[in-house]
Amino acid sequence: MGKKHYSDAIDCYTRAINQKVLSDSEQSILFSNRAHVNLLLGNYRRALMDAEEAIKLCPTNVKALYRAAKASLSLNLLVEVKSFCEKGLEHDPNNKELKKLAEEIDLRRLEHEQREAQVSRAVAGAKDLASAIEDRGLKIGKAVFQELTGLRKPTLDNNNILHWPVLLLYAEVMSSDFIEDFCETDMFSAHLDMISFSLSNMFSDTCPPLPWDKENNYTRESIELYYEAGSGVCLSKSKLLRYLLEGTAASHVESIDVDEKDATEGLNHGISAGEGSKWVKVGEKRTLHDILKEPNFIIPGIPVFYVVSKRSSFYKEFKAGKWVPPP
Amino acid sequence: MANELEELIGFLSSPSPQITKAAVDIVRGFTGSEDGLKSLAHYANIVLPSLSRLLAGPKEVSEPAAEALVNLSQDTDLARKMVEMGMVKIAMEILYKPESGISKLLVMMLVNLTQLDAGIASLLQTEDEKMNGLYVMKLVRSFCRSSSETSDDPFEHVASILVNISKQEAARKLLLDPKRGLLKQIIRQFDSSSPLRKKGVSGTIRNCCFEAESQLQNLLLISEFLWPALLLPVAGKKIYNEKDTSKMPLELGSALSIEREPVTDPEIQVQVLEAIYLITLQDAGRRAFWSVNGPRILQVGYEDEQDPKVMEAYERVGSLLVDNSGTEESSAEKSI
Repeated sequence: MGKKHYSDAIDCYTRAINQKVLSDSEQSILFSNRAHVNLLLGNYRRALMDAEEAIKLCPTNVKALYRAAKASLSLNLLVEVKSFCEKGLEHDPNNKELKKLAEEIDLRRLEHEQREAQVSRAVAGAKDLASAIEDRGLKIGKAVFQELTGLRKPTLDNNNILHWPVLLLYAEVMSSDFIEDFCETDMFSAHLDMISFSLSNMFSDTCPPLPWDKENNYTRESIELYYEAGSGVCLSKSKLLRYLLEGTAASHVESIDVDEKDATEGLNHGISAGEGSKWVKVGEKRTLHDILKEPNFIIPGIPVFYVVSKRSSFYKEFKAGKWVPPP
Repeated sequence: MANELEELIGFLSSPSPQITKAAVDIVRGFTGSEDGLKSLAHYANIVLPSLSRLLAGPKEVSEPAAEALVNLSQDTDLARKMVEMGMVKIAMEILYKPESGISKLLVMMLVNLTQLDAGIASLLQTEDEKMNGLYVMKLVRSFCRSSSETSDDPFEHVASILVNISKQEAARKLLLDPKRGLLKQIIRQFDSSSPLRKKGVSGTIRNCCFEAESQLQNLLLISEFLWPALLLPVAGKKIYNEKDTSKMPLELGSALSIEREPVTDPEIQVQVLEAIYLITLQDAGRRAFWSVNGPRILQVGYEDEQDPKVMEAYERVGSLLVDNSGTEESSAEKSI
């Protein structure tokens, strides 16, 4: 109901303005009032133009300055808001509304800058990670098992050493386990020992085995780790950056600066999964870095290792290459 | 009126080969004595270029010329002049000419020249962007491809060149650059029977560890080669038991499970301990050190140590590890 009166009001003001018989200061008031109604109607651009006209005619018109500020705020022109507020406060230093607006602007600018800082930090972090990966000659392919891995990503510590989240898959039953922080300089044996330990001697002979391991085949001594060799395509640098940015403040970023020469698509490395992929055994005494840098290892987003037991009947089938991970 | 010395020096540039041969032999003789060196130094601006020209000649003149230059380069001022006149470049060019026959001497001269900052810069070719590091790469390759098995081992002294240049950050960065893989090649020379080569490797690694703060990854990622080189000299002479070696990576564990010749040079031992100290100053360095059961090795090695300087070096690393034992030790203990 009120809105209809507003447009009537606009008409009235417009007619009065067009008569052009009033003094500048009086014209200014007309424009300022029309700006006010435009603000109420949500016509922010028109409100701003009216307010600016009012200010031109009478620079000390504090109400006009306030309305210009409000209009600019709605149009997200934060710099203009600040400047109108400051001009207004010059003429009327105690104006409560102007002060409130100015504070609100400062707050918004701060929030905006913080968000921008977060985004650029995220992008810089991803670039550092991508460089570290490239320097080590590692190959990253498309992530798999994302329902298990979620958004986990590798990280770089203060000494520029990489830490990886690592997925362990018990091939026989496709049950999984996670090593949240596997430092690239750590040996596999150390982490395998810790798994046994933290699950209260899961691998010990006297404790209950894994719930699905009815015959207690999976003990510390009987397990072996394997990775899948030569499966998949390497990500290009820009795709890698995008992958690393998933789940960060910068995940929405449209375009990231990437060196021209890196912008080409990744190379297709050998056979793809399921077509007789090779299983390569991981020596326990080797470090994660040693294994990851193997030329035939294309890391599927984050490293995945398959756990099998020498004692299980599944072992023969696995080693004969007859088993393939489900899609 | 030219005196005898000036005349002699003039003969170095004579068109007659017999005269130059006689002259260079005499000049070489002079460089063998303190006084002779001093006298020749007055004429450095003529002697040095003349001698360097002779380097390109047949062995009968190039060899004494090279010997003379090696002696002359031991003097700092003369060395500086030699670097200024581009002696490093000349040496490198002749070194890689086939059949030059004076390789060992040229390398020795470069050792002396790289005692100076200017000499190092010249060898690193820091001025030239395209060629940057080329000389060093060539020297490292020659160093690693030759060995002390051959009778004269011409590139043995490259070991000392590497120690000299690694005093500068630019050289350390070059050596640590994973794309060039220079440090990895150099470390392998640690197995050599030549004490000079061994010392060169340990000295170079120690110097490179001064970059541990900013380039730890370039050290740790060649840990397969790095740890044996750093730990074997300070592991003592006992054969380690299975309990200890089971926590070490294979190359370390198997080396310590057998009888071996202990390293007896205290200088090498102190250097590797200093290198370990620099690495373990960093969090990730300590972590990696614990993960190869490093502290246990130092413990065992220390038991047999007698040399006070070496003992002091062990103790320095030891107290660093104890002060920072927090999480690392507990995670190591967990896996017992």
